[in-house]
Amino acid sequence: MLCSRERVQKALNHQEPDRIPLDLGGSGLTGMHVSTVYKLRQALKLDPPGTPVKIVEPYQLLGEIKPDIVEALHVDVVELTGTGTMFGFKKNGWKPWTTFDGTPALVPEGFNTVPETDGRILMYPKGDKSAPPSGEMPKGGFYFDSIIRQDSFDEDNLKIEDNIEEFELISDEDLDFYSVESKRLFENTDKAIFASFPGLGFGDIALVPAPWLKNPKGIRDIEEWYVSLASRREFVKEIFERQCEIALANLDKLYAAVGNRIDVIMMSGTDFGLQSGPFISPNVYRELFKPFNKKLNDWIHENTSWKTFIHSCGSVLVFIPDFIDAGFDILNPVQVAAADMNAENLKKKFGDKVTFWGGGVDTQDTLPFGTPDAVRAEVSERIKIFGPGGGFVFNTIHNIQPKVPIENVLAMYETVREYGNYPIAK
Amino acid sequence: MSQYDELRECIISGKKARVGELTQQFLDEDKVAKEILDEGLIPGMAVVGKKFQEGEYFIPEMLLSARALNVGLDLLKPHLEASDVKPVATVVVGTVKGDIHDIGKNLVSIMLRGGGFEVIDAGVDVSPNKFVEMAKEANADIIGLSALLTTTMPSMLDTVQAFETDGMRDKVKIMIGGAPLTTEYAEKIGADGYAANASLAVEMAKKLVGV
Repeated sequence: MLCSRERVQKALNHQEPDRIPLDLGGSGLTGMHVSTVYKLRQALKLDPPGTPVKIVEPYQLLGEIKPDIVEALHVDVVELTGTGTMFGFKKNGWKPWTTFDGTPALVPEGFNTVPETDGRILMYPKGDKSAPPSGEMPKGGFYFDSIIRQDSFDEDNLKIEDNIEEFELISDEDLDFYSVESKRLFENTDKAIFASFPGLGFGDIALVPAPWLKNPKGIRDIEEWYVSLASRREFVKEIFERQCEIALANLDKLYAAVGNRIDVIMMSGTDFGLQSGPFISPNVYRELFKPFNKKLNDWIHENTSWKTFIHSCGSVLVFIPDFIDAGFDILNPVQVAAADMNAENLKKKFGDKVTFWGGGVDTQDTLPFGTPDAVRAEVSERIKIFGPGGGFVFNTIHNIQPKVPIENVLAMYETVREYGNYPIAK
Repeated sequence: MSQYDELRECIISGKKARVGELTQQFLDEDKVAKEILDEGLIPGMAVVGKKFQEGEYFIPEMLLSARALNVGLDLLKPHLEASDVKPVATVVVGTVKGDIHDIGKNLVSIMLRGGGFEVIDAGVDVSPNKFVEMAKEANADIIGLSALLTTTMPSMLDTVQAFETDGMRDKVKIMIGGAPLTTEYAEKIGADGYAANASLAVEMAKKLVGV
């Protein structure tokens, strides 16, 4: 039997390992909402009732995937990520908090929120309540959304500096952390290491409002940013150019810190697809995004053994040849239910050129609303389609959401275990 | 050549400032607001919708045109009201309870306005009862429900049921939209229609009121 790391590496090299590798919690885009983690831990009898679960990502409220759950479910990937959060506070000083659905949780000390009179809760950049709030969750909600802080701006005097405040050289302190943590994960686990570092993706709409900054300047409104992709392309291009220079310098430093201990690196989380088709013109991707994606990916392939990971939701069929050409090795979340994203077609067309990391089950329909049998049927079918020849890491289509029946989650993992052994049965 | 050609073109290319100038100029020249709307703004937005359907325009271009349209519509609005021009129909749109995502809903609103509908925006995190109240107040023909999250999809069913409980269900058509939704889901919760994007939402709304 292969160890987890070898299993993932083989799959990424488009060879068939002993079984299909499985990711859960390897990144902030392949994880699970805290309330589902809690239910899963209870169902697996890993904790006494009422035992809180750490919220390791306070924006989407992702729950911690601890080593015991990794072992119980045979997960093959672990996450290497920084000490900070989307709201700019550190993940330390854990304190109790309860979600709206009653899940007992632990949150970092900077997670300072009290219900407003209308019942919603607000989040503050760096946990500083003297600053204007940068996140909000409606009463009964399960996630935070950014509060848009968009100052008026002079169209003729837009400053690049305002939109690149968040891109900076990684500090020695953070580099030390990545170095130590990557060694710990490399030596103490046999898992593949999936790293997420700041500042590598271009124009990720979740990051444009910069909820961790106290006073973001430049274009920070989501709609205004999207409009800029049509009306201010030169401005956006200049932002990306400056960001890319900083990112290249950081990659050099990061490689010095973590070497080839990491297997996979998150390079882009920018969504290019809608449910029904492309979000932006493929030409705009080629002109505006691709050159910068390619520059960073090329550096990685020339200097490291890392595999490059792109996440893009939605219908992205038309972009996939360009993603491959830009040097992405791995595509996620493979949203099969979106328009033109037929699983068989994707595997046939691109299966030897890109690894599908996702596509395992639909998190918009089958997993939350289907029966365990429907989940089993879908998972076994996806394994049969994506599995042969390697190039497949099992993951749900995006994070596993709250309000998902735990029987469905269990049925999914059981099916992966039952049908995921190579050679894949026809 | 029509005198409204440039206005139409400026909607298509999303030139907001120029749309404002031209609309104001026509008003100053005592052109009838309804004519500016019907021959300039609406045909311009119809082309935008068509270009979107045909894969020539994408979300950024649609948003740009929608903003330009909004400038023109805002200038025309008092004149249309003063001359008692009737809209195609009245639509109350909103993002359902528990959900605060509004980009899709806003785009649908503008496209509907561009299609000649009166749109009343109920905002985000709108409770089922609030939808019913606003529908009564506006004497609405259509209710447009938006949701981005699987966790808030059930709020759509709650909203449909609130209209039933209140005896209002037969008085309105209900259409839904948002990433996780489908025609099947619309049927399942007893809504009247689903639209996959803002352009199709206008077509669906027209179909629902028979124009």
